[in-house]
Amino acid sequence: MKKALLAGALLAACPLAAIAQVETYKVDPIHSFPHFGIDHFGVSTIWGRFDKMTGGFTIDRAAKKGAVELTIETASVTTGDTDKGTRARSRDEHLRQADFFNTAEFPRMTYKSTSVKFNGDAPSEIEGQLTLLGVTKPVTIKVDRWTCKDHPMSKKPMCGGNASGSFKRTDFGMKFGVPAIGDEVKLMINFEAYKE
Amino acid sequence: MQELLTNPVIQSSAAPFLVGLVVACILFPIRLAGLAAGAGFLAAVWMIGAFGLTPLTATRKLVVLAAAAPVLGVLADLAFKPTRVTAPVLGVLFGAGAIWVFWSVLSQKPAAEGALLGAGIAALVLWTVAFTVSLHDRAVRAGAAGLFLGLGAGTGAVLGASALLGQYGLALGAACGAFLLLAMILGKRIVAGATFTLTASVAATLIAAGALVLAKLPWISLAALALVPLAVRLPLPEKLPAWIQAIIASLYALVPAAGACALAWQSSRAA
Repeated sequence: MKKALLAGALLAACPLAAIAQVETYKVDPIHSFPHFGIDHFGVSTIWGRFDKMTGGFTIDRAAKKGAVELTIETASVTTGDTDKGTRARSRDEHLRQADFFNTAEFPRMTYKSTSVKFNGDAPSEIEGQLTLLGVTKPVTIKVDRWTCKDHPMSKKPMCGGNASGSFKRTDFGMKFGVPAIGDEVKLMINFEAYKE
Repeated sequence: MQELLTNPVIQSSAAPFLVGLVVACILFPIRLAGLAAGAGFLAAVWMIGAFGLTPLTATRKLVVLAAAAPVLGVLADLAFKPTRVTAPVLGVLFGAGAIWVFWSVLSQKPAAEGALLGAGIAALVLWTVAFTVSLHDRAVRAGAAGLFLGLGAGTGAVLGASALLGQYGLALGAACGAFLLLAMILGKRIVAGATFTLTASVAATLIAAGALVLAKLPWISLAALALVPLAVRLPLPEKLPAWIQAIIASLYALVPAAGACALAWQSSRAA
């Protein structure tokens, strides 16, 4: 009787063990920022970033599966030009208006993965859908760096790294200034996330 | 040639002016010269490459409503003949349409703020459309009003931080300028009708409202711009040639339009 109960308990625990392999991480917003680079007059690359990004990801190393969902507050865009001085407006102010991110109408942009490729235990490439200015298009992000460890102070399990990608802004209807202000947007995301 | 067509200055001035002038010249004998405003404006939208319905953003809805205006205007001119109630009725209709245009922004604001903003925009469209459409049988005054409504909205939008809406407004002004030029030459032989007055007032007010909602044009600028259709009602020496009347009416319209731009400029310079 005892053996039967033990066997039953082990069988019941099996699916729980499988579920436990899926780990959920929540993005740490003060250590995670999406940066973007745009060609300026064919002379240099202007870099900017969004200060507010939330979301998270799940990862199942055994099954080599994962999912990512990120939300970026478009009004948090900054390129370092916040003080308009004697000008009519700063560049960051202009970026928030209808010519670019149209933050009044589209306060958020989102990225949702459709598949995650693995290289060993680490995710290497994420295919997903970027929704910007009401337009949803596929964007692939390469995971350039990936590390999981315990936080040195809090000892909480965390994962983080760097990711990169690119897309054409005109695909999303952001046409202002093209080609003087480049069409191709380079993406560089640094992220850290804590296990839930 | 391609470089010329993609030049923002050509897109928002020379091209809509030429398209407006050609359309007005061809259609004035059948009393549809007023289509110049819509034709010039839509030509600019096409050249800027902003035609499209998906996603149906506020800016695209603005173009849809501005494109509907000449259609309704022709209908009003040819089928019903504008009466005293035509102007306020069209004003109410397009005032409601303005709320539809900006709903995606208004609905994201706190209820009271969204309601106030929506009501203000609707009232502004109603006012401007009603007072401009009632100029339907006075081509010179209507032309001057259209010219400065467009230029005022366009310049205000540029100062309010939207180059796209600025291009739209300036293009509308250029197309209305083409109509006014013909009115200066032809005098009473040219008809503005609801076709012209409705298009000019709807497009200009929506562009200005767009610069308020989607950029940083101040309210006070819109209020000043709404005085343009009133300003062109000031007395004109009716016995003088049409071209002199057009210049005087344009000077009348210039005052509130320039005032609107000055207020936008002042606001953009404020800390």
